[in-house]
Amino acid sequence: MTVKLSLQNVRKTFRSRHADEAFVALDDVTLDVEDGEFMVVVGPSGCGKTTLLDLLAGLTRPTGGQILLDGKPVAGPSLDRGVVFQQYALFPWLTAQGNVEFGLEAKGAPSAERRETARRFLGLVGLAGFESHHPHELSGGMKQRVAIARSLAYDPEVLLMDEPFAALDAQTRETLQCELLRIWRVSGKTIVFITHGIDEAVFLGQRVAVMSSRPGRVERVIDIPPEFKAGEDIRAHPEFGRLRHEIWRLLHEDGERAREDERDARRLAVAA
Amino acid sequence: MNTQTLSTSLPLVAADTGRTPNKALARAGEIAARFSLGLLAPLAILALWQLASAYEWIPVQILPSPRQTWETFLDLAARGELGEHLSISLARVSWSVLAGGSIGLALGFAIGLSARAKAYLHPSFEVFAQFPVIGWIPLLMLFLGIDEALKIVAISFAVVVPVTVNTYKGILAIARDLLEVGRVYAFTSRQTLLRVVIPSALPSIFSGIRQGIMQAWLALIFVELLASSEGLGYLMTWARQVMQLDIVFALILVVGLVGFVLDWVLQKTENHFLAWNPKGL
Repeated sequence: MTVKLSLQNVRKTFRSRHADEAFVALDDVTLDVEDGEFMVVVGPSGCGKTTLLDLLAGLTRPTGGQILLDGKPVAGPSLDRGVVFQQYALFPWLTAQGNVEFGLEAKGAPSAERRETARRFLGLVGLAGFESHHPHELSGGMKQRVAIARSLAYDPEVLLMDEPFAALDAQTRETLQCELLRIWRVSGKTIVFITHGIDEAVFLGQRVAVMSSRPGRVERVIDIPPEFKAGEDIRAHPEFGRLRHEIWRLLHEDGERAREDERDARRLAVAA
Repeated sequence: MNTQTLSTSLPLVAADTGRTPNKALARAGEIAARFSLGLLAPLAILALWQLASAYEWIPVQILPSPRQTWETFLDLAARGELGEHLSISLARVSWSVLAGGSIGLALGFAIGLSARAKAYLHPSFEVFAQFPVIGWIPLLMLFLGIDEALKIVAISFAVVVPVTVNTYKGILAIARDLLEVGRVYAFTSRQTLLRVVIPSALPSIFSGIRQGIMQAWLALIFVELLASSEGLGYLMTWARQVMQLDIVFALILVVGLVGFVLDWVLQKTENHFLAWNPKGL
């Protein structure tokens, strides 16, 4: 296996409006994602997950360290990486078909090919027959399917997904999780999937990077053994429960520590 | 406003008609019912008008009867006088909408797209927007005289404000995530403008143009009342001076009717082109 995406001692700080010192969103994040791998990043809210994804997408630049794609530093957004956002971010004035073609247009594909490819990918995400619907005529789950089709259609090497199923109801979420795994197997894409859901992380990921907060760091990377995933209802498997608990414990300890830090800080502030 | 009800109920009409004749019929009845409800108030006013003139509550010289007004209207139309003055007025509105609209779009895009332009222009614009068109006319008369230029400029002022405001508000309100999608696709700024910014701001821009056209129509009549030798407003002033109030009344109805038709056409155009926008701005 070759390394597709490599984060080396990545640090990201933001200038804070209130405090004198900069706010450290990510500190010393080191992580390798292999070619074709399904990597899930899980962490509590405020741990810098979205910052991490923005960095991977090239929407922002790291303050320190570097991000390599195929060994070359990431300099900005590019069509070799696709992004699926939590709030779908579809263009309301375009039909489902138009939204999917949009990405292909950016890549400069001829129009007949665009039409054909868009239809194929809408079919892949189970939306055949909905090509001419506008986003406001689609349910949340369908919108996210369109967004996934849009990101897959222009054939990026890496798919970055920022809590894409967080806004969906439980049932739709489960369906889409299964579909995403199917699409991943068919397409062989490298996926970096960001979530705060532990179940979702264990269900989807080949490996799960557990983040801690303040500053955001990768606490541990947990391998999800592929064997038990072959079963029917893998959420009922004892191994699923064990992994789930292990991640929960890591996040929980981090939460406790963060709360203690906060208490200490408040005590110090009062003393001063 | 009623824009909202119209645009939201339209898809329903489209979806329902043609399913079963009964349903379509019921739907047509509903629309007719709603329409006739809207007609109640005008009919009541018409009845009151008829009564007032029949019993001469107000002298005939001041309040002509509805019948006489209608006949005057037909007469004006038949003699071609109405069409002549109406076309002059509409031409003035068109030029002003073209001039004021272009300036408004340019200003709106500048303020919406560039933070620097916003810093320079927005405060002055805010102050400018507070002046009613009428307030400019004495000053404009000094600079421009009372010829065609005065009318075009004054009416243009009425167009600039709503077009500018709605254009920059539309641009500034673009969802951040849509812009981010543009960045993910590595769009050039030209592509971002054409594919993301303009389509997304279009409902607001269109609504600004619509408001601008309606403002222009109102300003037009006012300017023509003040200083003109042709146009609907002039005809009204002239008729009042020679105490032909039936003409004044007929023209008031024409002005109202043209305004109503203008707004209706613009609304239909908007619904047609911006059907994707279920909010109906």
